[in-house]
Amino acid sequence: MNIDKYTETIKACRFCFMCRHLSAIGNVTFTEADTPRVRASMLYGVTMFPERLTSDDLVKTMYRSDLSACCRRNCVNHYEENALNLAYRADLVEAGAVPENIKAIAAELKGMPAWSVSGKGEVVYVADNYSVQSGAAAAFAKLAGGVQTVKGGSCGKGLWVLGFREEARKMAQTFVDVLESTGAATVVVSHTGIYDLLVNTLLEMGLSLKAKVMHSSEYLAKIKTAKKLGKVYYLESDFLRNYNDDYPFPKAVLETNGAMLQPFGTNDEESYSCGEGALLLDKIEPELVEKLAKYIEARADNPSNDVIVVASPYTKVQLKKYTSLNVKTIEELLAEAL
Amino acid sequence: MQVNENSYMYEMIRTELTDILGDQFVGVKEADLFGHSVDFYWIPEMWHDRGMETPKPDFICHPSTTEEVSKIMKIANQYKIPVVPWGGGSGSQGGALPVYGGIIMDMKRMNKYYGIDKESLTVRCQTGIIAKHLEWNCNKEGYSTMHLPASISCATIGGFLAHRGTGVLSTKYGKIEDMVMSLEVVTPTGEIIRTLPVPRHASGPDLTMLFMGSEGTLGIITEVTLKVHPQPEAREFRAYIFKDFHTAMSAGAELMRSRLQPCAIRLYDETETKTHVRKVFGMELEQGAYLVFGFDGRRDIVDCQMRYAREIMEEKYHGQDLGSKGGDLWWENKYKFFYPPYMFHIPQAFGTLDTVATFANIENVYYAMKKVVNENFPQARFIGHFSHWYEWGCMLYARFIFEEDAVPKDPREAAALYNRVWDMAIRAAIANGGVINEHHGVGLKLGRYMKDLYGTAMPVLEGIKKQLDPNNIMNPGKMGFKGI
Ligand SMILES: Cc1cc2nc3c(=O)[nH]c(=O)nc-3n(C[C@H](O)[C@H](O)[C@H](O)COP(=O)(O)OP(=O)(O)OC[C@H]3O[C@@H](n4cnc5c(N)ncnc54)[C@H](O)[C@@H]3O)c2cc1C
Ligand code: SF4
Repeated sequence: MNIDKYTETIKACRFCFMCRHLSAIGNVTFTEADTPRVRASMLYGVTMFPERLTSDDLVKTMYRSDLSACCRRNCVNHYEENALNLAYRADLVEAGAVPENIKAIAAELKGMPAWSVSGKGEVVYVADNYSVQSGAAAAFAKLAGGVQTVKGGSCGKGLWVLGFREEARKMAQTFVDVLESTGAATVVVSHTGIYDLLVNTLLEMGLSLKAKVMHSSEYLAKIKTAKKLGKVYYLESDFLRNYNDDYPFPKAVLETNGAMLQPFGTNDEESYSCGEGALLLDKIEPELVEKLAKYIEARADNPSNDVIVVASPYTKVQLKKYTSLNVKTIEELLAEAL
Repeated sequence: MQVNENSYMYEMIRTELTDILGDQFVGVKEADLFGHSVDFYWIPEMWHDRGMETPKPDFICHPSTTEEVSKIMKIANQYKIPVVPWGGGSGSQGGALPVYGGIIMDMKRMNKYYGIDKESLTVRCQTGIIAKHLEWNCNKEGYSTMHLPASISCATIGGFLAHRGTGVLSTKYGKIEDMVMSLEVVTPTGEIIRTLPVPRHASGPDLTMLFMGSEGTLGIITEVTLKVHPQPEAREFRAYIFKDFHTAMSAGAELMRSRLQPCAIRLYDETETKTHVRKVFGMELEQGAYLVFGFDGRRDIVDCQMRYAREIMEEKYHGQDLGSKGGDLWWENKYKFFYPPYMFHIPQAFGTLDTVATFANIENVYYAMKKVVNENFPQARFIGHFSHWYEWGCMLYARFIFEEDAVPKDPREAAALYNRVWDMAIRAAIANGGVINEHHGVGLKLGRYMKDLYGTAMPVLEGIKKQLDPNNIMNPGKMGFKGI
């Protein structure tokens, strides 16, 4: 089983309580099951009694994890709680026991149109659906000018997160081929999950991309806005902060342009992302995403006035949908101040 | 009554509970029932490790208001089903385990923070709030509860109240019972009561203290008002190595007798100095006993206290100064011990034999416990440190550890061995002036020693229990009270 690669993690987490305060889902469901401890304990049960692998409640619990990686970041030894969860999902796929709702989401991903390429230049920007929907893509175009754009397809990360590893690998290969066909030396993405795919997951899949990969905040690092950005609250991205070692560019580009960054909520350890790390939580458990959004809203100093800025288009889309917060992507904030 | 999932009554009771809380807040699903069947007590962990079934509750209730708690208690009384409060499940004594099934009252949804009274420096909250979340809220306003235990990130405030918990700064700011102003409690029969608004008075006995340490056997604590403190301008630590444990203990006791006000003192015995301190802080300490202490508050007062403390350590007891860096390392890593892989874990068998005694008795308690463990269980290691210091004595945080090959494979034999260590060590502590526990509580694990400890006072406790809980539904079988 794939989870056998994570025996160390199972044994470390199964009786460990140390990161329960950071379980984003646990903090809105209040259940013990939604903690790294109980998930790992149940998976320990699976290693002893393989027939438990497909227990309905275990399946549901594992698919509703927020995968924020806040626990791994907080953990002294950085145990791979999330990788363990993803390995379990892959086991479920291999056992042919994926629930219908997950299959339907996978089918939707597989049925997405092919990526289309437009424009010219040394740089290619990935305009995935979340980046378009959030306004990040349009703002990026305004800021960056003549770049190529790939649009509309699926990159493989979603299938990977759902556990469909083989299909994910094939889809990611197609995505890589499209990117390489543009001849661009630099790939820029706003979607933090796609960033993570290109810098980390491809390696796990045994694939590679020759071009340099940047999150839009890194690509825009040298931009100078005419107006100062002023007082803003920046919500960290799970992928950029927790999966990519406190990737510094989002805050840097804001500060360079006169942002006075305010601490959001009560701490800088929790995930305020609406389940960004789980990539598709809005499709798997929309009511939970709503709860996560409300949890964030309840922590704003002045919910109707604060300017809240995010690096993750996914997070912007969810916060817009479920709260009245004044939330913008980094690209939008910069473009407005040009 | 014990509820049977296949009975009509199960469905009737479930319907009544969902009527109060809504479907999503009455848990009956496998994952959650399992999650509430193992807390931080070694025996359920070991049972799970060995593939044994751990006893599950029938229902998990997630109330959000005191009134909901009260209604659930009334239903439980009507059907006489056990109710066990559950905070974070981080208790090490099995106190939150549903040993007779019934209802687990999971308190975490009762997490409201009502804010700080800046004139009186108090904070009010519901008790299901995770202690770290409360602390973060206070920090945002420039204050701290100063309750900073190693389980701050997983335990609830209610759990700490129920166990008389202790944080690292207890020497100055006290145990949680010293921090509490007043409580709201739902009694076992479902009445909502409030204790007096202030902790110092001459208006009769102290009801607040009756519920502190009651471990969910006398009622459910639903709301609390605690003291808070401004964040100190300075906090500074210093560490010393003494030639042996006795000298280090004498130096620590002298520091307390001097009536200086350290915020923390910690002393590691020679074995723990060599193993843990080296492993976790990366310090090369071959022999001697490591003692660290600190002061906090106004800068000039911290400096002044530190100067006097250094005189005690260096001039009177000839400690080797490891400087402020040696102390800061401890503060920075204070929780590191509790994370895997530093924390002891199964397949090891381990337990924290914490106790507390006066300075006159504490070394005797330490040596007596060490002797019984070493002589009767030569296959185990015994280590200890002294974590929480008071004007009159200190707390011994002793541990025994069996490595995997010394733990019987059969779970029942393993449990029997485990219990034998406790029997001998705890009785040795009591015989030498210690008590059965300092901050982890009694729970299931230590209930059998309550009669030894309380002697002729035990019927007083039993009488209180009977009066408050006539149907014996509140966490039965725990803290030495009778089971079902
Ligand atoms: C890694 C680790 C480190 C620890 N370090 C410390 C430490 O430094 N200091 C310390 O004091 N403890 C420590 N503990 C022990 C544990 O955290 C405490 O005993 C804590 O008080 C338990 O709180 P909880 O919310 O997890 O309670 P639970 O374990 O859920 O319950 C404990 C008991 O309290 C009762 N209870 C819970 N909530 C209520 C309520 N609202 N009303 C009435 N009864 C209630 C339960 O029925 C049970 O009997 C540590 C534990 C771990 C796992
Ligand atoms: S990730 Fe680390 S802190 Fe979290 S449960 Fe696992 S071992 Fe504990």
